[in-house]
Amino acid sequence: MIYKILLTIWMNLIIAAVFLYIEPAAGFPGEVSRILFFHVPMAWVATLAFLLSMIASSVYLITRKVNADFLAQSSAELGFLFCFLATVTGSIFAKATWGSFWNWDPRQTSIVMLLMIYGAYFVLRSAVADHEKRRVFAGVYSILAFCTVPFLVFIVPRITNSLHPEDTLNPAKPGMDIKTLIFFLGSLCAYTGLFVWMLRLKVRMLRIMDKERGRINFHK
Amino acid sequence: MKTGLGFVAAVNLIIWAGITLYLFILDRRLKKLERRPGYRDHGGGDG
Repeated sequence: MIYKILLTIWMNLIIAAVFLYIEPAAGFPGEVSRILFFHVPMAWVATLAFLLSMIASSVYLITRKVNADFLAQSSAELGFLFCFLATVTGSIFAKATWGSFWNWDPRQTSIVMLLMIYGAYFVLRSAVADHEKRRVFAGVYSILAFCTVPFLVFIVPRITNSLHPEDTLNPAKPGMDIKTLIFFLGSLCAYTGLFVWMLRLKVRMLRIMDKERGRINFHK
Repeated sequence: MKTGLGFVAAVNLIIWAGITLYLFILDRRLKKLERRPGYRDHGGGDG
């Protein structure tokens, strides 16, 4: 319980500091660069979640322990959520820096492809009725899906002409002094903590649902 | 402080407060379900 309270306080401090205490990162127009403190941690958590999903799927395929499948599913769902949020915040940043929300820039295209690949993971899970088969198929698919992550996140935007900061056409790099960097790393830690919290809740929820076979509505 | 930043910060804090409140409530409900007789934990975290 204590880490959840600490995380809540920490996240509040980060949000307040990002807007009210530190200066915007150099190298970007105006105040919009403050979105970096949310956009980058979201993208980081999405990549971490997809990696964890792949590892948990591998563990499930080796050991056939149901808990590993719960972890793989939960992690993929949260990865999809954070990836979507990173896309939305990236679009807001794109509007301010490139002039429009969506440009089909290689970075934007690759993130949409990633969302579609993981969207298909959930379609696959919902399409197979048999629990055992579903877990095996989803496990294999999760491993294959993660193989695309390094290409779509790190390689494709860097080998093609992209406007994304630090890519080929736009060498802009966030200029951060030590104070800004501390809060940026603090934001990364806070989002990672939030991911762990949500992941544990989701795994517990799946465990109970598996036990009760979907008779419980958690939102009532 | 630039104009509007305080407002954006307040909106963000409200959103974050909503998210954490939801997570705390969900946590409590899960705990209640896990405490019910007949529920057996298969091994794992306590959230």
